Amino acid sequence: MIDNLVQPFIEFAFMRRALVGSLAISLTAPPIGVFLVLRRMSLMGDAMGHAILPGAAIGYLLAGLSLFAMSLGGFAAGLAVALAAGLVARSTVLREDASLAGFYLVSLALGVMLVSMRGSSVDLLHVLFGTVLALNDGALILIASIASVSLVTLALIYRPLVLECFDAQFLRSVSPLSSTTHLLFLVLVVLNLVAGFQALGTLMAVGIMLLPAVAARFWAEDVGGMIAVAVASAFGSSVTGLLVSYYVNVPTGPAVILACGAFYLLSMLVGVRGGVLWGLMPRKHLEA
Amino acid sequence: MRNRLLTLIAFAFVMLGFSGAAHAADKVSNDKVASDKVKAVSSFSILGDMVKNVGGDRVEVTMLVGPNGDAHVFSPTPADAKMLAGADIFFVNGLGFEGWMERLENASGFTGALVVASGGVMPITMHEEEGHHHGVEAGDEQDHGTADHDEDEATDPHAWQNLYNGEIYVKNIRDGLIAVDPDGAETYEANAAKYLAAIEAQDKAVRAAVAKLPKARRKIITSHDAFGYFGNAYGLEIIAPEGVSTESEASAQDVAKIIRQIREEHIPAVFLENVTDRRLLDQIAAETGAKVGGTLYSDALSDEDGPAPTYLDMFRHNVGALTAALSS
Amino acid sequence: MKTTAPALGFHNLTLGYDRHPAVHHITGEVSRGELLAVVGPNGAGKSTLLKAIVGELKPLSGRLDLDGLTKRDIAYLPQVIDIDRSFPISVFDCVAMGLWRELGAWRGLDGQGREQVIRALGTVGLVELADRPVGALSGGQFQRVLFARLLLQDAALILLDEPFRAVDTKTIAELIHLIEHWHREGRTVLAALHDIEQVRAHFPRTLLLAREVVAWGETANVLTPANLAKSRTLTEAFDTYAHVCERDEADAAA
Repeated sequence: MIDNLVQPFIEFAFMRRALVGSLAISLTAPPIGVFLVLRRMSLMGDAMGHAILPGAAIGYLLAGLSLFAMSLGGFAAGLAVALAAGLVARSTVLREDASLAGFYLVSLALGVMLVSMRGSSVDLLHVLFGTVLALNDGALILIASIASVSLVTLALIYRPLVLECFDAQFLRSVSPLSSTTHLLFLVLVVLNLVAGFQALGTLMAVGIMLLPAVAARFWAEDVGGMIAVAVASAFGSSVTGLLVSYYVNVPTGPAVILACGAFYLLSMLVGVRGGVLWGLMPRKHLEA
Repeated sequence: MRNRLLTLIAFAFVMLGFSGAAHAADKVSNDKVASDKVKAVSSFSILGDMVKNVGGDRVEVTMLVGPNGDAHVFSPTPADAKMLAGADIFFVNGLGFEGWMERLENASGFTGALVVASGGVMPITMHEEEGHHHGVEAGDEQDHGTADHDEDEATDPHAWQNLYNGEIYVKNIRDGLIAVDPDGAETYEANAAKYLAAIEAQDKAVRAAVAKLPKARRKIITSHDAFGYFGNAYGLEIIAPEGVSTESEASAQDVAKIIRQIREEHIPAVFLENVTDRRLLDQIAAETGAKVGGTLYSDALSDEDGPAPTYLDMFRHNVGALTAALSS
Repeated sequence: MKTTAPALGFHNLTLGYDRHPAVHHITGEVSRGELLAVVGPNGAGKSTLLKAIVGELKPLSGRLDLDGLTKRDIAYLPQVIDIDRSFPISVFDCVAMGLWRELGAWRGLDGQGREQVIRALGTVGLVELADRPVGALSGGQFQRVLFARLLLQDAALILLDEPFRAVDTKTIAELIHLIEHWHREGRTVLAALHDIEQVRAHFPRTLLLAREVVAWGETANVLTPANLAKSRTLTEAFDTYAHVCERDEADAAA
């Protein structure tokens, strides 16, 4: 039985690479997802997938089907949208979700227009979004570097970030770091998403950022605990998804995300913190 | 409250008025200015090239999906609809290749002749197991009409990859042009005859080239299920890691099977074709040591200075790449 | 240590949103170490004034002097609405945030720091609940958590915006005790309050606000029936079609 679980990775290099890539992204994306969920920005990942289009289009117009140019362009566009949305939310009456919605839609429309002006019907986004089964050296290095940068940055801004989610006004009153923290966080989000899209495709990149974070709510009482649960479940789901894709012959990206989803449903039912089934069981209350 | 209601009603009438005016304007612009040449639109570049060869100077050809374009994901624009509306004859591949065709025809109000180039071709179906293709060899029958096929399996639309079918295409094109422009019948017959001869010669050349390859080496992996007809006709085994169109995602099992097969059967080469993502193929080649044998052209021609600007050039290039990789 | 220099100075200060003044033409001083209640009906501008002092709001006109006090010297307790109570943070960690001035963004909490936090929790009677998530607390308990955090901030100027709204009487009594303790320590405390009797009982000086200063001084002199009646009439609605305020020109001409 163990043999079955391990054998595909022994036999095939692409499985090993997929495992390494999944591990890297499971370390870096879920913590960011935890903060996104806590800040009620869960749909940002999806919005980003559309927002990067004009950047990728410009990269394509300037350099053809160069993955590097298109990713760089995509990152720039995503960052511009995220920063603009954040800025507008801070200094006008709009809140973050509304301002993000506004900017990403503009970005998407711009991207569609740019793509059709060129006249070619090559599906840009199809080229830009990869699959975990095709992680070449470049993609692995990209994910690994982004993971390192993200982890270090998160460690640095951890305390201000927590405070910014919990009581932003207090942070503003005691520290000038508030805006910097916010911006750095947005940069991390876009960085991880664009790298994720390129390496894994949109579904898996956004899914692995958010689903484990959402499930972690049912197990942990503090942010650190949530992050730990999210990382563990992300990696577990990756391995499960890879094995299922291998043995049952289903596409890998969806398999991984469905595994995350299964854990989410499980958490909702039996999670220690607020699992539905615990509520249904009659239990004696504690003394205090 | 009443003010608001009246405003809404007035607005609705204004909208109706606008659409009526737009409709009328459309009708006016549809009256074609008489010109010398037959205005032909072809759905994609390979078909366009064939029409050029048969039509010669009498026909002006435009293509909806140009060189290096992917017809599977093509989305027609208003400019395309306008172009089609002014055309005399519209050539399509058929066999489900142009998923967007009906939408475009409706949108443009096209009233010219529609020619399905693959009419009379014996289609093969795509099979998903083992990544192999089995299929009915294109027979000698011509006047079948499209053969009945199971709706369970997708029909492989890439019939032009067999030069014999190419000849059927040419004949359909010729007949279509004659129907629309009877004055040019002689020209079309002559052009078609010349072209058919060239196609036959190319067909012989392909068979000769393949015959030189050792039997054990007549298998390739390519990223797109576009060479079913080619493989069947010329005796090459084609294995593809993805499904029919460029949209479906591979599973780990698919990739593992192909890698295993390459290793077991010593498949020498992996080919890219000019419309899809090469990374998966690169990964497979890297892991098995198979050669990445260059680009094969399947659904579209290259542009003018590329290696496959015409239908016959496409075959010359593909066969060249194949033999180069497989013979060494 | 009492000095004669004022802690806060307002000079013809007008504050508001989008050119509509919430409070206008405020002029006055708050001495160091003063315990001042800011009172007025709903919409009087009490929150607006506190927000301006802490820097959340820029004046529409006029000036606000902070006599050298920086952000770090001010502790501000806003109305609780802006805090995300469902956030997974423990009582202990929430209170520990009060030590930001010493720790900054990165330094860990050492033994002495932990003791300080426990002591603060003890002062407000919440030591047993230290490990609970803040979402599990009642309104009154959470208010005590915020006061404990304020304690640790060790600030020279403390601003409290409606600190007793929706809080039980026992907690209010304890918190007022704490406020008086701060007063004895020489800190300057401003508290926006709605309960007139509380103010009469515990606050020596009062500013009665009704979009402009109605009265300012000793509590007994300020909270007279006449003044209170006047404050109720002055708080009129937000006028979308208001004219530009002529008073500045009139004062200058006079």
